[in-house]
Amino acid sequence: MRECIIKREERENYDIVRLDGALDSYSFPRLETTLNGLRDAQRHRVILDCRGLDYISSAALGALIGFARRARENDGDLKLTGLSPKIYNIVELLGFHKILEIHNDLEDAVKKFE
Amino acid sequence: MTAETSSGAFLASFLFLLLALTSAGLFYAVNAIRRLRRERDELIHQKEVIFGFIHDVGDVFMHSEDVDLDRMLNRVLFYAARTTQAGAGAIYLYEKGEDAFRARAVSGIFPPLSGTLDTQLEKAVSKSQHIERLVRAEPIERGEGLVGEAADFGVPILIEDAERDPRVPTFDQEFLRVRSILLVPMRFLQKILGVLVVVNRVDGRPFIQADLSLLQALADQASVSIHYAGLRDSLDEKQRIDHDLTVARQIQTALLPKAIPRLEGVELAAFNHPAQEIGGDYYDFIQIDDDHLGIAIADVSGKGIVGAIMMSISRSVLRAQALMSRNPSDVLKAVNRVMYEDIAEDMFVSMLYMVLNIRTRELVVARAGHERPAWSRASEKSFTIIDSPGMALGIADKEVFEATLREETVQLKAGDVVVAYTDGVTEALDADRHEWGVERFLEAVSTAAPDGANAVLNNVQQRLMRFVGGVEQYDDMTLLALRILQ
Repeated sequence: MRECIIKREERENYDIVRLDGALDSYSFPRLETTLNGLRDAQRHRVILDCRGLDYISSAALGALIGFARRARENDGDLKLTGLSPKIYNIVELLGFHKILEIHNDLEDAVKKFE
Repeated sequence: MTAETSSGAFLASFLFLLLALTSAGLFYAVNAIRRLRRERDELIHQKEVIFGFIHDVGDVFMHSEDVDLDRMLNRVLFYAARTTQAGAGAIYLYEKGEDAFRARAVSGIFPPLSGTLDTQLEKAVSKSQHIERLVRAEPIERGEGLVGEAADFGVPILIEDAERDPRVPTFDQEFLRVRSILLVPMRFLQKILGVLVVVNRVDGRPFIQADLSLLQALADQASVSIHYAGLRDSLDEKQRIDHDLTVARQIQTALLPKAIPRLEGVELAAFNHPAQEIGGDYYDFIQIDDDHLGIAIADVSGKGIVGAIMMSISRSVLRAQALMSRNPSDVLKAVNRVMYEDIAEDMFVSMLYMVLNIRTRELVVARAGHERPAWSRASEKSFTIIDSPGMALGIADKEVFEATLREETVQLKAGDVVVAYTDGVTEALDADRHEWGVERFLEAVSTAAPDGANAVLNNVQQRLMRFVGGVEQYDDMTLLALRILQ
């Protein structure tokens, strides 16, 4: 599996976190560090750009829901965009599309925050 | 007698009879409502008790570094007594050195079950501490009395009217009298760890079958904890990691059904292939009543010891709830209410729970975020994927979960096959990291479906193993199949 490259891009009132590679139990802690850092900095509006994501473990998905929940408690959100059909299928199978906000395009997610 | 007076007398007696019938009917109706209300209150009470218990056991493992056996046993006993509304209770544990059982935890005024209290002593001991000391001090040999019987045969014992049973000791002192008693064995794998005993409901009524089922569910959960606590005590950190992995594997093995139930008119088959890391898959068959069989398959999100504990909690909660309703969606809703409260926020369990009516062959399916089962009809070549909306357990609150979950009913016919699986099967990887995939899986199922559930299992296993070669898998692979016979 490809090692996951995590890039953070700060915009005026939200952040984009771009994922490239696979998120499994070994690489997920790094994303956790990034997301925790954002939360500590009171930046609760986050878009996860998943266009480059080719795998995500179910444990990682569960953890993302925790981050989204806490972001919402602070008037923010964690939105997902650019999921591959395969990953979207997993999210949908687990019923998590009812909890997480998912957009096809990055622009749609951005509009929600602006 | 004139015709008038005779018809008047007839009318009077008719009215009297009517009045009598109405009041009798009213009396029964009021009683029935009272009974229903009481039953409802009891169900609510039991649910609350299960909530508390699961929370407690979860607490002991998830948030505490040291597992204190005595503290845990006392809690188990507290919840056991509350569940069954028992006035007193005790947990007897097997002591290897003595080859005997000893009461390690006691609550309420629990009478010495060996019945070796002589009359003089009985008169002298009026304080509960003295009784408790006596109960704790007295070893019970293997095969001795009711405790020995429950342990040796590994079966629960329910004695509704204990005063008529010669196996129950009798005492002159009123406060020591055993009116009703319930004993359940505590086992891990084939090993007997102890016996959990409760006596005398506080409302004076006898224990019932439902008390036994709940108490056994509590005892099963506690056994996992006792086994784990007992072994972990004397190890250093590195040994503990290895130990945890072994225990996780043992827990998983212990939780899977020992045998597939044999039922008239249905062929059942199942397999579980654990991965190196222990992925936390399990399946279960629950006999709800004579006509209804509950069939569950699940995948918990955690791995290793955490996954194993999660699995054991899910199994206990499901087993307790499954007996309360034949509607799989109601059962999953109840399970979610317990799990959402008590498991870590980012953990979840995907579960497929189906109830098969063995007589009518109707299958009701509820899906909590699990892989959709495939239904191969004897009359057709193609598959129907049984889809029903739902989400994984433990991740969403009552409102969101229950608004999403819907069950689906299908009418099965002779020769039909239904297969359920976990993602470890379809996502199994070969040396080039290619997935086996749903298509290949369904192909393997359909080739063998006409030959029955076991044939489906064998064919899937063979093709799957051929595909992955010797490549070590990261996830458990679990599959179950059922076929309706002629």
